[in-house]
Amino acid sequence: MKFLISLAFKNLTRYKRRTLITAGAIAFGLMMYIFIDSLLLGLEIESVRNLKWYETASARVLNEDYWENRFQRPLDINIPDPDSIISKLDKNGIKATKRIEFSGDLILNSFDFGEDGNMSVIVTAIDPKKDFDVFNFDSTIQQGRFPEEDEDAVVMGSWLAEDIGAELGYWITIVTRGNGGFYEAMDMEIVGIVNCPNPNVNRTLIMMPIAVADEYLAMEGASTEVNIKLPESADIDAEVIRIQNLLNEDNLTVMSWKSMAADYLAIAEAKRGGTSMILFLVFLIAAVGISNTMLMAIFERIRELGMMRSLGMSDKKIRIAFMFEAAGIGLIGSIMGVILGIVINFWIVNYGINYGDVYRDMDIGYRVQAIIRGAWNFKTMGIAFFAGIFISTLVAFFPTKRALKMDIPSCLRHQ
Amino acid sequence: MIAVKDVKRIYKTGETEVNALRGVSLNIEKGEFMSIAGPSGSGKTTLLNLIGCIDKMDEGEISIKDVAVSKMKKKEKTNFRRENLGFIFQTYNLIPVLTAYENVAFVLSLLNLGEKEIKDRTMAILKEVGLQGMEHRRPGKLSGGQQQRVAIARALIKNPEIVLADEPTANLDSDTGKEILGLMKQMNEKHKTTFIFSTHDKMVMDYASRLVMLHDGQIQSDRKRRE
Repeated sequence: MKFLISLAFKNLTRYKRRTLITAGAIAFGLMMYIFIDSLLLGLEIESVRNLKWYETASARVLNEDYWENRFQRPLDINIPDPDSIISKLDKNGIKATKRIEFSGDLILNSFDFGEDGNMSVIVTAIDPKKDFDVFNFDSTIQQGRFPEEDEDAVVMGSWLAEDIGAELGYWITIVTRGNGGFYEAMDMEIVGIVNCPNPNVNRTLIMMPIAVADEYLAMEGASTEVNIKLPESADIDAEVIRIQNLLNEDNLTVMSWKSMAADYLAIAEAKRGGTSMILFLVFLIAAVGISNTMLMAIFERIRELGMMRSLGMSDKKIRIAFMFEAAGIGLIGSIMGVILGIVINFWIVNYGINYGDVYRDMDIGYRVQAIIRGAWNFKTMGIAFFAGIFISTLVAFFPTKRALKMDIPSCLRHQ
Repeated sequence: MIAVKDVKRIYKTGETEVNALRGVSLNIEKGEFMSIAGPSGSGKTTLLNLIGCIDKMDEGEISIKDVAVSKMKKKEKTNFRRENLGFIFQTYNLIPVLTAYENVAFVLSLLNLGEKEIKDRTMAILKEVGLQGMEHRRPGKLSGGQQQRVAIARALIKNPEIVLADEPTANLDSDTGKEILGLMKQMNEKHKTTFIFSTHDKMVMDYASRLVMLHDGQIQSDRKRRE
């Protein structure tokens, strides 16, 4: 065995350039694997964080009938006494905040905006005192400020503001139907523009104080949701059950961010599947390269093969020798690939790719704005390293088998 | 020691059939220094390959040391070659990435011998063939004659009873060819190893103690030379 290993590694030096080119192909494949995996993992980690920080919170208490009617954003399917729930949760060390979400028409007048117009919007009414305990909007204000508790004012997502040409001090009118079905028109001043890492929020956000919304919409203290913040390390499903039991109210339900973001998770899963296909093709190309290199190496040494077989070396040992050689190429390729992967990962983790200018208006499913950053995944690097060696070794089996089908005299005559 | 009985070998290339051997029979005794001679296409390499258990015959039987090698399975033949036969090739067929020492030692590693024994025997045989001090040279740094000496050492290292050499001097100049034949003869006398070699060179035939002439796949003459 020692001889076979020694022979295999010495043979690697026989055609240095070819060995390096093949190892380079493996290295490129592995680097791409590490790079794309890092990118996807980074996207997922950041998307989940941005979902929880700016959209769904960790979990949400809803009226049990609300979720199935959520696209209508009904105000009458609500939580009648959200403050008692928040208080109950607070006593158990859980931070929570109430919100009212409603849909309406945003009316733009020519006085501020240059021309009249309207568009459908979703408005979120927040409790300025408690909202920042659960969501992370406090550091996202780009211009202006958040509205006071009882101020007829809104903050707006930066992309939305840019799209409609809104600036601080402009007035907008929101027309909607209040709790009970009456029409209500609210004149609001834009006092702040928010830019947060979640593109969905930047694209659609209009936020106003809950006290003002309560009065306009005749909510009488009710809210459409109570959002909950849980520690990052919490077992979210177990916590949801615990909170449900804690609240002990039949008409309320607690949903985890995973349930609420099921569409996002499905998209992420599908993207991962698509990326796996691309990676499979990259590996396939590398495997064909290795197979071809081994085929050339074997057929250039057919006479040597004949000599070794004449002297009594078994086909099995010859196959092992060539597979060791291929494993050697795989080892060099894997080392190069992992090093390149680490280098490119270092760059993608620390600097990232700024895709904002290209994809700003395109919803790619991930809740990541402008800069995509990777994440370190040492498990993937380990898998890539061993997969490189394993695939190289495996693909050498077939050309060796083919060469060994030749009879020994033909091998010895081979030119 | 070797009994070749009515051996026939036909090569088929598409529709064409070439009768390489047409019923060859001969007996070879232990310690013979025998040459199989004849023009190109006479069947000498085919006969050598069949005795060397690296080719299949179509008819007939070959037995070596009373073992019917022609009936052996592929794996048995491999084991038999490993333990009993040595080969010398016209083009030396050394592994270019290995040193002279490694090219010879590799045969013993196939027999799973210990490292010390491999080292002692390899150094001894290299000394015997006149390559002392050149153990660490790769084939590219050796002359044709020196490479063939390595090949002879490789063939003899496991003390085989039979060494088969296919045109061992064809790639060498006449002086080096004589040296190599002298060395083979010396080894034959010292180790009582049976040497069977093919050639079409008159000078090489003169070295043989027995000369079998083949023509069109049949034995034309079989003469023993008196010492």
